Amino acid sequence: MAEVVVQVAPAWALLAALLTATVALGGAGLDGVLAARLGGRPARAGAATPITETARLLRQRRRTTLAADKPLWRIGVGGLGVVALLMVAVVPLGRWTLLDLPVGVVWFNAMDVMVWALVWLAGWGPNAVHSLVGGYRFLAQALAYELPLMFALTAPAVAAESLRLADVVAAQQGLWFVVWIPVAFGVYCLSVVGFSVWGPLAPAAAADIAGGVLSELSGPDRLLLLAGRYALLTAGAAFAVPMFLGGGAGPLLPGWAWVLIKTLLLVAALVAMRRRLPSLRPDRFVEVGWLVLLPAVLLQVLIVAVVAVMGG
Amino acid sequence: MLEAVVFWSLSTVAVAAGIAVFVVDSMARATYALAVSFVAVGLALLLVELDYVGLVTVLMMVMEMAVMAVYMIMFMGMNPALMPMSMVHAHRTAIVAGVGSFVLLSAGALLVPWPERRSQPVPDATVALGDALMGSKMLVMMMVSPVMLATIIAGVTLASARTRYDRLGDDLDRRTPDDPQRGGVGR
Amino acid sequence: MGLRQWLVRRAVSGAHVLVVEAPGAWQVRVAAEQAVTRRGWRLAWSPADADVLLVCGHPGPQLTEVLDRVWDQLPGPRACVVALAVGEVGGALDQARSWLLDDPQQRDEAAQRPLSPAELEDTDGEGDADGDDHGDMDHGDMDMSGPGGIALAMGGDDRDGLAMDVLHLPLGPVLPHWPPGLVLHCALQGDVITEAQVEVLDSTDDPTDDPTAELTATQHAARRCDAAVDLLALAGWDALVVEARLMRDRLLAEDTDQAAALHRLRDRVTRSRTLRWSLRGLGRADSGGDTYDRLLDLLADEPTSGHSGRDYVETLPQLVTGLDLAAARLVVASLAPMRLRPAAVPSGGGHG
Repeated sequence: MAEVVVQVAPAWALLAALLTATVALGGAGLDGVLAARLGGRPARAGAATPITETARLLRQRRRTTLAADKPLWRIGVGGLGVVALLMVAVVPLGRWTLLDLPVGVVWFNAMDVMVWALVWLAGWGPNAVHSLVGGYRFLAQALAYELPLMFALTAPAVAAESLRLADVVAAQQGLWFVVWIPVAFGVYCLSVVGFSVWGPLAPAAAADIAGGVLSELSGPDRLLLLAGRYALLTAGAAFAVPMFLGGGAGPLLPGWAWVLIKTLLLVAALVAMRRRLPSLRPDRFVEVGWLVLLPAVLLQVLIVAVVAVMGG
Repeated sequence: MLEAVVFWSLSTVAVAAGIAVFVVDSMARATYALAVSFVAVGLALLLVELDYVGLVTVLMMVMEMAVMAVYMIMFMGMNPALMPMSMVHAHRTAIVAGVGSFVLLSAGALLVPWPERRSQPVPDATVALGDALMGSKMLVMMMVSPVMLATIIAGVTLASARTRYDRLGDDLDRRTPDDPQRGGVGR
Repeated sequence: MGLRQWLVRRAVSGAHVLVVEAPGAWQVRVAAEQAVTRRGWRLAWSPADADVLLVCGHPGPQLTEVLDRVWDQLPGPRACVVALAVGEVGGALDQARSWLLDDPQQRDEAAQRPLSPAELEDTDGEGDADGDDHGDMDHGDMDMSGPGGIALAMGGDDRDGLAMDVLHLPLGPVLPHWPPGLVLHCALQGDVITEAQVEVLDSTDDPTDDPTAELTATQHAARRCDAAVDLLALAGWDALVVEARLMRDRLLAEDTDQAAALHRLRDRVTRSRTLRWSLRGLGRADSGGDTYDRLLDLLADEPTSGHSGRDYVETLPQLVTGLDLAAARLVVASLAPMRLRPAAVPSGGGHG
């Protein structure tokens, strides 16, 4: 059943960028508030952290290291925000979407693989040990979560028998996918945390390598990378809404409002994960990804496929 | 009109990036120039309404280039990508072979009398393409993929310096493998 | 003009401070951390991240040389202050704040500094080696130099049977959550350490030099909480890091019972299965304990590990060899307290 979705003019991409930036800012503010509450300081001071940090980084000078590979460095650092916007482009906001692709799910997958290249480039650029080690640790971890993520993205597509996001939303009119495809949802959220270099899955920017890809960055470049992380979290959460959380479905409010609310809630949950868990180091996480997550998701896809064949 | 503009710009980007692979003197730049070239080709496929094939091309190529970075560090004998180095071997032969194949394929694309389209294109081009390529042998094609993967893994395992006997003892009876750094599940 | 001023004030209200501890100035460093967090400022992890360089205690000649290079790496606007005693910390930070707010002077200084680092011309001297910086040491007879004047790396056999380049990296004295004054000269292949050598900066080489001789029981417990903070921060568990810092501060202020504080921390550590999964089997010493055991021992009522400074120099390299960089950092953080030589009976039953 093909849902009627209106593809809007490209100029609306500005609104999409604005919404993404706002939600990302909200996520950053929430992180600041949680950090402040944890340290016993007033929440209001914490909520202003993104503004303060932006001001500080705009004022700070840019720096470079000896024999740095500048073009690749800048691409790696600046590309994260661009990729986040491209991810958001396929998400239907109620009835409207920027890109009504017949293969929206694969588009998202392609974008999250771009993050592999970008984080590695950000680690490669400065010609410094800790940065490079950060880039490679990210690749090691990405190899662990990527295959489970791909299958987790396949599960709702199989259940809806289409790769088009509007069809996936339409197939959830009876029951949201998060209810009967929970394993895929869990793996998807873990992967969003992974490709956003966030929280327990942030080996590329962790303390044990002196900040990793962040260790040689300063000024506006640092701001771009830090903002890019929040933008990716937002994009990942926004994509989960049509895939698992029923899209714009909900009582009283219009579809686009529900999409925004669900995105905000999921971003809040992902941001709150940051300080609660110790880091899952890639040398330990790789085995978990291949031996635990992958079989679990494959089993989930099998169940979904059987249900789809029996029901269809 | 728009399609023609997009097609020609993507083609130019693909060829220019392809040439750049051999012109730059840094391995990291060569790798990502190759990635750009492939991405341009993948995007060009979107113009022929082969959406799935085009996007999967982009996805796979970027992932491959990222993994190539891992091999770059593993196998290069000198500081890879920093030392200005010539990226080519057998310079003249390679140029002749490359330019020659480009000319041959372009001649084929431009000069062969392709048949005229007689009806409307099918609504789902990807399914039609898949059916035409693989047709009645679909089951075989689906089996090929996991078999290939298993072969690759088996090859890497056999080639590895530390075999399972080193890790698990002569009778393969050790409970946790003897690794310099243990993994997360203890296998 | 008004916007610029607002930006400057806003920027300074959230400054990042790189706190460097000279050996023997532990309490000053703790006071510095407390002062920084109380102002709403943050602790920096690397010179690129820092606006203020705060040196605690009296650095020796070798450390001063390192600090000069670190100071060079701070992008502008920046301020450098020294605090020799606990009482001086507040004043030093206020001074730093006023310097950061002085926008015209910062701009003048920025105009005079070059934008890119100078290339190395001398192939006989040492490479640009520093705590957080990439450095290659020149091999005497190798006169091929790569970009930037840094010598090319030579290959060598590595842990997994590949032949990878060897990078000589001094894990230097200025790193987050790193023992003060310690330099670990590593040979890295990929990110795996194949050789390591310990150097202590400005060491007096006096085996009777015991940094914990002057501590009371409560202060000793605070010292152990602080060591736990380092290990937990490197393990990535920020929530417990904040709690451990709080316990440390309370113990130093004689505000809480030592046994209760340690018990609370130990309780939370043992209840976390993720932490145990992460640290188990890492850096197993000859005596049988791994990093997780050492963490629990740190927070135990009566710590059992007691090794002198000399042992540390010998055991650390062999434990760290074969581990990757991040795992090695965890092992170093778990072993650092071994230098403390906690006596069976902490000297001074009462105050001071």
